[in-house]
Amino acid sequence: MTLAIRLSAVALACMAATAFAADPIKIGVDGPFTGGSSSMGVSMRDGVRLAADEINKAGGVLGRQIQLVERDDEAKNERGAQIAQELINKEHVVAVVGYINTGVGLASERFFQDAKIPVMNNVATGSVLTHQFDDQPENYVFRNSANDSIQAPMIVEEAVTRRGFKKVAILADSTNYGQLGRADLEKALALKGIKPVAVEKFNIKDVDMTAQLLKAKEAGAEVVLTYGIGPELAQIANGMTKLGWKVPMIGSWTLSMANYIDNAGPGGEGARMPQTFIQEPTTPKRQSFIISYLKTFAPKNNRMDSPVSAAQGYDSVYLLAAAIKQAGSTDGPKIKDALENLKTPVEGVVTTYNKPFSKGDHEAITANIPVFGEVKGNRVVYAYADDLKKASEVRVKDVNAKGALPTVKK
Amino acid sequence: MEILTQLIFSGIALGMIYAVIAFGYQLTFATSDTLNFGQGDALMLGALVGLTLVGMGVNYWLMIPIVCVFGAIQGAVVERIGVRPAIRIKSEFGWIMSTIALGIIFKNVAENVWGHDDLKFPSPLPESPIRLLGANVLPMEILVVVGAVLMMAAVELFNRKTIWGKAVVATFNDREAARLMGINTGLVITFSYALSSMSAALAGVMIAPLTLTGATMGAVLGLKAFAVAIIGGLTSGMGIIVGGIILGIAEKLTGFYLSTGYQDVPGLVLLLIVLAVRPAGLFGKTAIKKV
Repeated sequence: MTLAIRLSAVALACMAATAFAADPIKIGVDGPFTGGSSSMGVSMRDGVRLAADEINKAGGVLGRQIQLVERDDEAKNERGAQIAQELINKEHVVAVVGYINTGVGLASERFFQDAKIPVMNNVATGSVLTHQFDDQPENYVFRNSANDSIQAPMIVEEAVTRRGFKKVAILADSTNYGQLGRADLEKALALKGIKPVAVEKFNIKDVDMTAQLLKAKEAGAEVVLTYGIGPELAQIANGMTKLGWKVPMIGSWTLSMANYIDNAGPGGEGARMPQTFIQEPTTPKRQSFIISYLKTFAPKNNRMDSPVSAAQGYDSVYLLAAAIKQAGSTDGPKIKDALENLKTPVEGVVTTYNKPFSKGDHEAITANIPVFGEVKGNRVVYAYADDLKKASEVRVKDVNAKGALPTVKK
Repeated sequence: MEILTQLIFSGIALGMIYAVIAFGYQLTFATSDTLNFGQGDALMLGALVGLTLVGMGVNYWLMIPIVCVFGAIQGAVVERIGVRPAIRIKSEFGWIMSTIALGIIFKNVAENVWGHDDLKFPSPLPESPIRLLGANVLPMEILVVVGAVLMMAAVELFNRKTIWGKAVVATFNDREAARLMGINTGLVITFSYALSSMSAALAGVMIAPLTLTGATMGAVLGLKAFAVAIIGGLTSGMGIIVGGIILGIAEKLTGFYLSTGYQDVPGLVLLLIVLAVRPAGLFGKTAIKKV
């Protein structure tokens, strides 16, 4: 090879690189990377990084590289609002992915709505999140996580129909998340004609659940339904061990959090929760996702801290990338239109997104997609062997899927 | 009846957790009329250092003295940096801000060293409950109660029997007079802070297997313990124990018989009543402040 050819190859490579570097597509990533919800936030961010990396290695979108602008909202509403303004006015992001905490999402999204910048909510589950702007002609908020109006009926279905429990106790934390979830659980129970025998509350950082558990026990509860986050859920499991009273725990997807599993130890085994993704290589896509995640981030014991957050974070970037590609532009309204009418299916980890959104429906996940996970041997596995067997058939969105509570109108 | 016993046992266990932390407030108040508002963070640091040591393979019981030494050093540092300057210029409130500030700094350092997640502290005793009078109790809960009483007894004995302890008591009675009698009151105050943080660190490793261990574990506990110190009286060791048990049981009983949503209310109502009726606390000596 002559020197001239080598030089020109180098020159070409440089030109190509500068063309990419000159104009990256900026995508904002917002989540709690510190504090009590950080295991979800960090897993989500890692999933997002992985997807962006893969897309960039394959040549980017519209021939441009994706550049992530990551911000830590510390699960604080006011911090989220500040970050939203920074992402819009200073960083000029094209779109944003993230939000773990419903409150932070609600506080931040209005800024993006006003700026006509699409938001892909990938973890927060509060039902109202995608309906905040129902009264406006355009809605820039999308979601690819299973919202509470899907999860609550699933929990009730599992407890009442599948496992036949009639006496049900609800334990929920005193945050927005816990109390909105409790309301959804009560609604879903009412549809089955069941009134919970005990409805108890606890605070974040409570270290003793004796009173709550004794009330449930005295009321004759056969099952405890939970809405809370990892550490306190672990205290519930520990409290049951202490009282020598063991009934099944079924609750929202947070029962899969690593800090629940680790802190509850043997007492936490058997807890069940709806999951959009379980760390099992059931399809080639899932397998390659798990392998590259474990290779890149090397989590403890090869267990993702929050597999659901990681998978949904990963998928959210691919959904956006597909929309940008289809729109042929980084213009907010055009990306939104493309999202509402995605022509080519997007193969993700959770599901294959075939027309995931439409103008009136910004929820990519329907009630037929999540499966039940169970804590077993310190990790989350499929609760039902049947689900595992059929896991390789990807469950796709079904707008007619039954089971969701009627949507909350704001 | 069985339920009541269970609630009372859980209340006592919880109350003793509050009491051991409150004890630390009392120690420094006794010598210097100041409090370490970073008490909850001293507890958290003790628990996390203990967890690291256990993770390195150190036996739980061997780890305790090391954590105590660490706690003592940490307390002395707080006194030197945060409290001494305030006392020197006779500032009434400077130490409040500086101990709170140091507490926040410790918390942030802990978040960076140990991460943000709550961690599991391996229990040195079996985790299966024991039947006692028809109620279930965890061995660890008994350890906390016994350990707390022993610790407080040891400090009381020290104060009454040793020359050092007498210096502490003298400083408490009249700081100026003690100084004129040749007692190095500055050193006594440093010492009381060291002792206070040491007891907090010890409390941390004792309660950690029951609660969870993490950078934010001290916040709520420190606040509850403060309420206990006020209810029981900042000058009385006995008051601290009784105050802790009252608060713990009140929380559990309200939670069960009234509503778990109101669990924290009775303690605070009690606090208000005590402040209105007996500002020095249930067992506290009424101090006459000469101006």
